[in-house]
Amino acid sequence: MNPKELHDIIDVDDLASEDRERLQRVHDLLLQAGPPAELPPELDKPVTAPEAEVIAFPLLPQRRVGAAVLLAAAAAAATFVGGFVWGHSKAKPAPLAVERIVTMHGATDAAAVLKVGKPDSVGNWPMVMNVSGLPEQKPRAAYYELWLTQKNGPTLPCGTFRVNGKTTSVRLSVPYSFKHASGWIVTRQAPNAPEPGPTVLTT
Amino acid sequence: MAIALPLPTMQPMTVTDSDSELIQRAATGDRGAFETLYKRYARSVFGLALRRLGDRGRAEDAVQETFASIWRSAGSYRPDRGPGAPWLYAVARNAIVDRARARSETPADIPEEASGEAGPADRAEQGWVSWRIHGALEELPEREREVIQLAYWSGLSQSEVAEFLGLPLGTVKTRTRAALAHLAELLEEDLG
Repeated sequence: MNPKELHDIIDVDDLASEDRERLQRVHDLLLQAGPPAELPPELDKPVTAPEAEVIAFPLLPQRRVGAAVLLAAAAAAATFVGGFVWGHSKAKPAPLAVERIVTMHGATDAAAVLKVGKPDSVGNWPMVMNVSGLPEQKPRAAYYELWLTQKNGPTLPCGTFRVNGKTTSVRLSVPYSFKHASGWIVTRQAPNAPEPGPTVLTT
Repeated sequence: MAIALPLPTMQPMTVTDSDSELIQRAATGDRGAFETLYKRYARSVFGLALRRLGDRGRAEDAVQETFASIWRSAGSYRPDRGPGAPWLYAVARNAIVDRARARSETPADIPEEASGEAGPADRAEQGWVSWRIHGALEELPEREREVIQLAYWSGLSQSEVAEFLGLPLGTVKTRTRAALAHLAELLEEDLG
């Protein structure tokens, strides 16, 4: 039997008219809504997330509060969303198992979150960088470049990218050890420029 | 010197956490709040996606995209502009429509599109009602949710529900009434 009337479900005689109207409204909505869908097992399991190591480089004092907020949000995003996607996604490419997170800041609202995954068997570190607030490159052949700075060594190129719109996400891979790293920077590169251009983002 | 920052702490959840509160906490990186939103709305998103996309696999993808989008854009939610449920519904709907467009197919049920049969407004309302009801159900204590599901969608009479649960009929009716009252509270803000 499919209940059609509220009094088939509960005793309504002792209800005040106002209460009865409220429950009648809910009753009608339940009938209108119909049964909820059964979740597939893949979506019904508890969400778990791997923990990510958070790496932060020295920051200028005035940047620390904002960076803390951004870093905390980035860490949570990486751990939860990473875990969520890891646990549920069939999408390609394979999700990044985030090991380290680095934030970068620039003028005004420009910022980036660099998520570094586990290295593969030969030492390539996969990375995903989400950049926001950088202006679109001019001229059109110009681009941005990510660099790894070292305490006592050369600055190492880590990949180039272009931005289009407010937020850009790029996948990169570098073969370097981070043992002597002192920070990361993003530079604005003129077409075919061999050396780092003006820094637009830094840790 | 590196700055050591702890990961965001997970705050305890209660059934009284509103959608609005949860979205705002998710925006600050509160994983627990986001997981509660997922638990509360995954079924609703899946149901909505299934109705509009007509395919379980694509509906599953739409659920993932919806929650990834909620996580990314929680910071854009403004509580002064309205409750959380309509915002979540809009995010879900956008993700589902995007999923449909990605395959160059027309969603089975887009409220804004004209139709010769059931009006778009009616279909939009139907989707919204299901969304809110199913979301609110997830906020009920398990024993209240159970009696509602059995009373409304199992095809059993209340006497049969009582027998099924091994409870007196009066207890089942009292519990169902409490559940309806609880739902009325939860839905008051959105449905009037």
